[in-house]
Amino acid sequence: MRSRKTIIGLGAILGVVVLWFALTRWFSIIPVGRFPTPAAFWEALKQIELKGYAGSLLHEHAWHSLRLIIISFIVAVGTGVPLGLLMGWNRKAEALINPVFTLIRPIPPLAWIPLAILWLGLGDAAKVMVIWFAAFVPSVINAHAGVRNIDKSVIEAARMLGTPPLRLVMEVILPGALPMIFTGLRLSLQASWTTLVAAELVGALVGIGFVLNVAQQDIYPAMILVGMLTAGVLGWFTTFVLGLVEKSVLSWSVRGRA
Amino acid sequence: MGSIRFENTGKIYGDAKTGFKALDGVSLEISDKEFVAIVGPSGCGKTTCLRMVAGFESVSSGKVLVNDKAVTAPGADRAVVFQQFALFPWKTVRQNIEFGLRNKGIAKAERDHLVANALKLMTLESHGDAYPHQLSGGMQQRVAIARAYVLDPSVLLMDEPFGALDAQTRVVMQEELVRLARVNPRTVLFITHGVEEAVYLADRVAIMTRRPGTIKEVIDVKSIRTQENWDSYEKIEDVMDLESFVHLRTRIWKSLREEKIAAAT
Amino acid sequence: MQHKLSFMETVVYGLIGLAVFLGIWYALPATGLVPQQFLPGPATVVERMTVLATQPFAGATLPAHIGYSFVRFMSGFLLAALIGIPLGLIMGWFRIVDEIVAPIFDGLRFIAPIAWVPFAALWFGTGVGGPIMIIFAGAFPPCVINAYRGAKQVDPQLIEAAEMLGTGHLRMMKDILLPASVPSIVAGLRVAAGLGWQSLVGAELIVASTGVGFMMVQAQANVATSTVMSGMVAIGIVGLVIDMLLRRGEAAIRRRRGLAE
Repeated sequence: MRSRKTIIGLGAILGVVVLWFALTRWFSIIPVGRFPTPAAFWEALKQIELKGYAGSLLHEHAWHSLRLIIISFIVAVGTGVPLGLLMGWNRKAEALINPVFTLIRPIPPLAWIPLAILWLGLGDAAKVMVIWFAAFVPSVINAHAGVRNIDKSVIEAARMLGTPPLRLVMEVILPGALPMIFTGLRLSLQASWTTLVAAELVGALVGIGFVLNVAQQDIYPAMILVGMLTAGVLGWFTTFVLGLVEKSVLSWSVRGRA
Repeated sequence: MGSIRFENTGKIYGDAKTGFKALDGVSLEISDKEFVAIVGPSGCGKTTCLRMVAGFESVSSGKVLVNDKAVTAPGADRAVVFQQFALFPWKTVRQNIEFGLRNKGIAKAERDHLVANALKLMTLESHGDAYPHQLSGGMQQRVAIARAYVLDPSVLLMDEPFGALDAQTRVVMQEELVRLARVNPRTVLFITHGVEEAVYLADRVAIMTRRPGTIKEVIDVKSIRTQENWDSYEKIEDVMDLESFVHLRTRIWKSLREEKIAAAT
Repeated sequence: MQHKLSFMETVVYGLIGLAVFLGIWYALPATGLVPQQFLPGPATVVERMTVLATQPFAGATLPAHIGYSFVRFMSGFLLAALIGIPLGLIMGWFRIVDEIVAPIFDGLRFIAPIAWVPFAALWFGTGVGGPIMIIFAGAFPPCVINAYRGAKQVDPQLIEAAEMLGTGHLRMMKDILLPASVPSIVAGLRVAAGLGWQSLVGAELIVASTGVGFMMVQAQANVATSTVMSGMVAIGIVGLVIDMLLRRGEAAIRRRRGLAE
């Protein structure tokens, strides 16, 4: 029963909160320097939003990070999906590009951070570059798989029906690959957040990762927790929006969600 | 207008010496508006024959001619109905049927008219805006047939079109196809495993040998059908009860059986 | 889809693509279009890697740094597997556990593993515990999820047969669910290894005093671009090797089970 599941779920979360109180405040099992009490957390939250921390208010940091994510994500999937479609459809393009792709692929996105800082400094451009590397790869791979997954006879039917090339791409290949493309988009979004937080941790002047960085150096555990939860909420929010887009675009699919 | 001719057609996958020989000199002539079924043991290459006419496979040796011209590419003049329907899952029924017409550059008003007719013909009127996954297998195949028919093709290629349907739906579809074929005849090449289906639907039945396939014999059904007036019976089971039907069916069955036994040894 | 290319064609096109890429990479610094400091050519990077094989940078040679990184990776990865897989199986078997743990799990999922770094720094300093914790955070979810899915997808008739034969809970999980879930678990291990390796790199950029990530950060601070790129290449290669080994393992298991490859 769904209601039973919801009740237990809420109960579990409540249980965690109670545990938090118990371990930190009531029984002082966890020393105050290690993990914040709920009260300390609340104070830190108020501070960063009302007075500011690490140079800006919470929502300013959040907005800066969010903006970067949106821009980088769009650039990455805007380049990755067409490339993946091309490689999936055209075997020659695939053979040409594959070796280079295979070389770049194993380098973890975060490993590009030092190079990005060397090339582009500590500003937004470096972040966009690193996120691009992170988010680009899943989009290509999944768009490629999406094309290959299209039922062969559907493509043959389209050819039999005399479909011109542009229409073939827009009305057959793209819609056919769309379920897997969305899987790639979800992975790209996840990778984008991880990379952004890391990039901002290493070198930034504003943003959620920067807040985490400063809080760590100030030895301010409550603020660290604020930063982490904010990152989580933003991550959840963007994933949720992506899910809405997916549901509406893929309304024709039985599964609706790959 | 819609004649098909196989002239000693051969098909090898891979190179000539070590490759996989699918067909070994198939020769068959299908006249305009004739309904011919090909039956044969699994793997004999009957689907390959259809795919060569469709333009999905190239010919390794010999020729495949439609209207005396060699086949070079797929096209709406040789419409295909696939076993797994091959509908566009992201398009509605109406959009699926309309797609080929758009490719032909037909104006919207006329397209709507043709699609409406096709929906009526295949009794799909109330499902025009549904998506394929919302329809049963039988209905999806009706959409696929409508999508092919609406193009007014001179040749209709059907690759085990009822193979993915359950037994009852299959029977209904066979009856419908017969109605269509008598009312709106065109050249049909029909591939199937089912001997009864072939005898019921076709004017002639070609029997293929086991792999690498060639035509073993061609049985004329039409003359017996007209002679015994099968079309006067509405239900398929009444036709299948007739002695003339049973006789033909058994004859083809025995011929196939020889091929299956030879294949197994 | 177009026809598959022959083996020769694939090789030729591949070599062309590779040649173009390497050519451009080589030409940019060599012709002075881009300063050498900014983008060292492929030859420079290879040379630098050979030097680093014996000459220490930021405290150790490149192989030594890789060694440190790899040990941390294995620790975090094994920890994630040893805790995550049983947890996934338990969640797959006991619905109540699933209902309790899943919401918490789903909530934490959105916090990128890397966001744990500040706490890792606070708790472990630059000691080895920090990176291991981050690797654990990255590798843990796929281990749990795939074990869970594997358990859930076990043929119900197998379970019914086991129940009929009087199988207790522990034995059910150990001797029925676990073996049946092995393909899913191994696939999860591959994903976990990838994520874990990535998390390691991130962690070492911030909270380490040895390791390839640390080496790269030091190199960046010293504007030693070829060293940074050497680190990237090394990381890529090790990551590839790990993935290849796991993929072989996965294929072998699937073959033994008669599954499609």
